[in-house]
Amino acid sequence: MIRTALRAVALALPVLLALPAWAQEEALTRRPTELRDAPGDKGRSVAILPAQAAVTRTNERQGPWVQVRTAGGATGWVHLFDIGPAAAAAPAQDGGGVIGGALRGVTSLFGGSGSSPRRTQAATTAGIRGLDAEDLANAQPDAAAVRHMEGLRASENDARAFASRAPWKPVAIADTPASSRVAPASANGAPRAEQAP
Amino acid sequence: MKKASLLAAVLCAACLLPSARAQDPAKALGGLLRQLTPPNLLNQPAPARTPAANDLIQMLADSVDTIDEPREIEVGRQLASVLLGSKPLDRDAALQRYVNRLGRWIALQSPRPQLPWTFGVLDDPGFNAFAAPGGYVFVTRGLVDRVDEAELAGILAHEISHVTGRHHLKALAAKARSGLAAQLLASQIRTNNAVTGAISQQMLALGRDLYASGLDQSDEYESDARGVYLAARAGFDPYGLPAVLQQLRAAAPDNPLFTLTLSTHPPAQNRLEQLEAAMGSRLDAYSGKPPVAIARRLQQQR
Repeated sequence: MIRTALRAVALALPVLLALPAWAQEEALTRRPTELRDAPGDKGRSVAILPAQAAVTRTNERQGPWVQVRTAGGATGWVHLFDIGPAAAAAPAQDGGGVIGGALRGVTSLFGGSGSSPRRTQAATTAGIRGLDAEDLANAQPDAAAVRHMEGLRASENDARAFASRAPWKPVAIADTPASSRVAPASANGAPRAEQAP
Repeated sequence: MKKASLLAAVLCAACLLPSARAQDPAKALGGLLRQLTPPNLLNQPAPARTPAANDLIQMLADSVDTIDEPREIEVGRQLASVLLGSKPLDRDAALQRYVNRLGRWIALQSPRPQLPWTFGVLDDPGFNAFAAPGGYVFVTRGLVDRVDEAELAGILAHEISHVTGRHHLKALAAKARSGLAAQLLASQIRTNNAVTGAISQQMLALGRDLYASGLDQSDEYESDARGVYLAARAGFDPYGLPAVLQQLRAAAPDNPLFTLTLSTHPPAQNRLEQLEAAMGSRLDAYSGKPPVAIARRLQQQR
């Protein structure tokens, strides 16, 4: 009897501990590319994929290589930069532009009845809603919580000791991002470097 | 006659006023007050200094590049208090310890390793990350539950890059100079000064607005690019952050767990294309380490 109960618990536990998983993604190739039988440049080509080929991205990844399944049912690996979204994404609110973004923030506070910020997002079927603009608008500063958070800091020694056990090893990389800008010493009107196309 | 000389003084002061700069009403007002109330004319002591908290906003507006580190940290502490007012810290002490160790290790490879870096996991099911000046970095429980260690490292490296790039300070300075604070104070929920204590109404208003509307998209692209290099320098797969972006790309725009992050950042596909331009294949050699689940790392930490 105890064994039956234990078995039931053992079966239930993985479900209880399961963390949220990402869904597979319907994607398109962004350029002609090769479907490889293994992740990496050394993976042998299984098929040539033209641009705009429909693929389903599974959630398998190794470094920059992601696993996809073609419409014909073949499975293989492509570089993650070589695929993009299938549907034209719904125009996301662009966070760019300080003034535009700020005015949007002001406007949203006047939405709805005007007396309190309108709830702008639907809840999931389970009623779960993440931190949103309304929470920020209602936020009352909590200095005690900041002090508590500061008390949880890791010292440099503690971080280094943990890194050596993990192990996390630092890597010397002389390269810099192609589109990087010098850290602003004086920001007045200094033109930003052009992004590489 | 005292009245006549006072009137004459006011008229003269008006002539001497610098032409008002429409984008800096606070400064113009301050200048006006200084012109009209020289102590020897009114036989009164000099006007009291404005509260220290309001000085921070004025300092940002005047010259964001020369604000010193203690004041930068104080700005960050005040913004952190706003974020912690929206959601509390997660009670999982082991998780907080891990995120602080991971974050501090990555920050040690950054251009500002000795800031008092402070990391926290918010008790929130949504998928979000925030930073504040001086080294305060937040992620939500909903984010931690959905990523592995390299992906979390990439996200922390992105937030750390916002701090080393002083992006939030620049954004606050721009908002302050635009006179936005005055508009916001009229529309936002007012707070009893006894409750807010050390944070000014202006900083509270600007902070709430900043986190609800986001940074310049160019600052987001820059933090993505610097972030992947920083994560690689700290020993992590540089494709952790791109992996998160491709998941965000697939998230439904009306999914309430992702609403805030999607609305405060450029579209995920744009971010991926900018990263491709920044990285090329130059960091591919640093990828390929086996993935580590955060739950497994927490078990090792015991």
